[in-house]
Amino acid sequence: MVRFEEVSLRYDAGPEILSQVSFALDPGSFHFVAGASGAGKSSLLRLLFLGLQPSSGRFSLFGRDVAGLSRDEKALVRRRIGVVFQDFRLLGHLTVVENVALPLRVTGQKGQKIHEHVTELLSWVGLADQLNAFPPTLSGGQQQRVAIARAVIARPSLLLADEPTGNVDDRLAVRLLYLFEELNKLGTTVLIATHNESLVARFSHPVLRLKDGSITPERAAYATSSSAAGTAA
Amino acid sequence: MVYLASLAVAAALLVHQVTERWQKDLAGGLTIQVPPPTAEDAGAVYAARVDQLVRLLGEWPGVAHAQHLGPAEVSALLEPWLGEAGVPQDLPVPALIAVELAPGAAPDLSALTAELRGVAPGVLVDDHQRWLGDLLALGQTIKVGALVVVLLIIFSAVTAVIFLTRTGLAIHQQVISLLHVIGAHDAYIAQQFQIHALRLGLAGGLFGLGLAAATILSVGAWLRATENEVLPDLSLSLGSWSLLLLLPPATALVAMLTARVTVLRSLARMP
Repeated sequence: MVRFEEVSLRYDAGPEILSQVSFALDPGSFHFVAGASGAGKSSLLRLLFLGLQPSSGRFSLFGRDVAGLSRDEKALVRRRIGVVFQDFRLLGHLTVVENVALPLRVTGQKGQKIHEHVTELLSWVGLADQLNAFPPTLSGGQQQRVAIARAVIARPSLLLADEPTGNVDDRLAVRLLYLFEELNKLGTTVLIATHNESLVARFSHPVLRLKDGSITPERAAYATSSSAAGTAA
Repeated sequence: MVYLASLAVAAALLVHQVTERWQKDLAGGLTIQVPPPTAEDAGAVYAARVDQLVRLLGEWPGVAHAQHLGPAEVSALLEPWLGEAGVPQDLPVPALIAVELAPGAAPDLSALTAELRGVAPGVLVDDHQRWLGDLLALGQTIKVGALVVVLLIIFSAVTAVIFLTRTGLAIHQQVISLLHVIGAHDAYIAQQFQIHALRLGLAGGLFGLGLAAATILSVGAWLRATENEVLPDLSLSLGSWSLLLLLPPATALVAMLTARVTVLRSLARMP
């Protein structure tokens, strides 16, 4: 599913954010990326959704070397990835339904079928009564769920979430994690970046710990990484 | 900008129409000027000389018809300058002979002039070419000027669209970034901007053309109202109006393509 081989990242001439990172994620797995603020979690996720290019090293997504992808192929790969941003990145001028429908619209789908699909998903995340609301009128938790719905509406193979519980209370954070677990059970590979150690401790999923630009696997992550990538930095 | 472009194109089309009309009217003809009578040859002698010239011209190879223009016709020709009162009796006016050439004929003007001067010294043979040449050169200059104006307007329009699109890109950076992340192709994102540019360009173009049409029609109506006889009729032909109608869609197309190229170049900087 995902394979990093000695991937490094630096912004322009700045210091290395990620240094020779190697790991692999198996299809259908659930991982946390943990680490302090500034450890490089968001940069790692940006690499994964092809928002950045590595300074060196190789990585592949869905069995394809990313370096060899054309722009159009990258767009197609991105459609297989759902992203939940820390700041949600909802479009304030669009309704909840329209926000969630965006990933389907960019694939050229139109009409009533989209609406039915989106409505069904929003009901599942408990927002059936907010379909035509605009994001700025929603609470943080509701916005979070809209962002999650948008990330999963196109049934992505890989779901990335950057600090998804950063703006919600602990009770809602746990509920969100249960929601991600439900999606994982449906076959979606999940990778959650968080600095919330208590949340990580509460769930038994493998952890990729980022520190000083290097990654250290914990729990079962080592086995997963070792078997797939050979090494885990 | 379409307003200015329409006026420039309209000016070029009008000049083209006018010069073409004058060229058509004047080509294939000659005007013979017989010096006004002197005290010695006034009256019947002068009239007989003019008649002899008309006969000679009528028999000249390549000449289809020659006609002495009488006082009424000369007065009509000079009316724009001298008014309805006509030519004053004491004003010496040369006799004029209008010559119509056979289609495709090109008589030897030097030989003709020499022959005519044998009958009436000082006769002038005018084939209108010098005047027409100057007129055509002036028309050509105006047309080139209009073309330069149109090119400058297109350049300004393209520049304006580039800056507007860049501003739009900056304003909508969050939307573009999101669309990019969720897998939108560059062409899809560019389409959102180019459709907007197309609509704006078309609406602005139609508005500009409407204003230009009002201006052109008003100027034409004003010129007709002044009963000006020196300037030719300045109304545009149906073909010219059709050409002007192409300006709004052409402008919209330029705006659309400019927006598309600008967006695609900006997106190319994203990974």
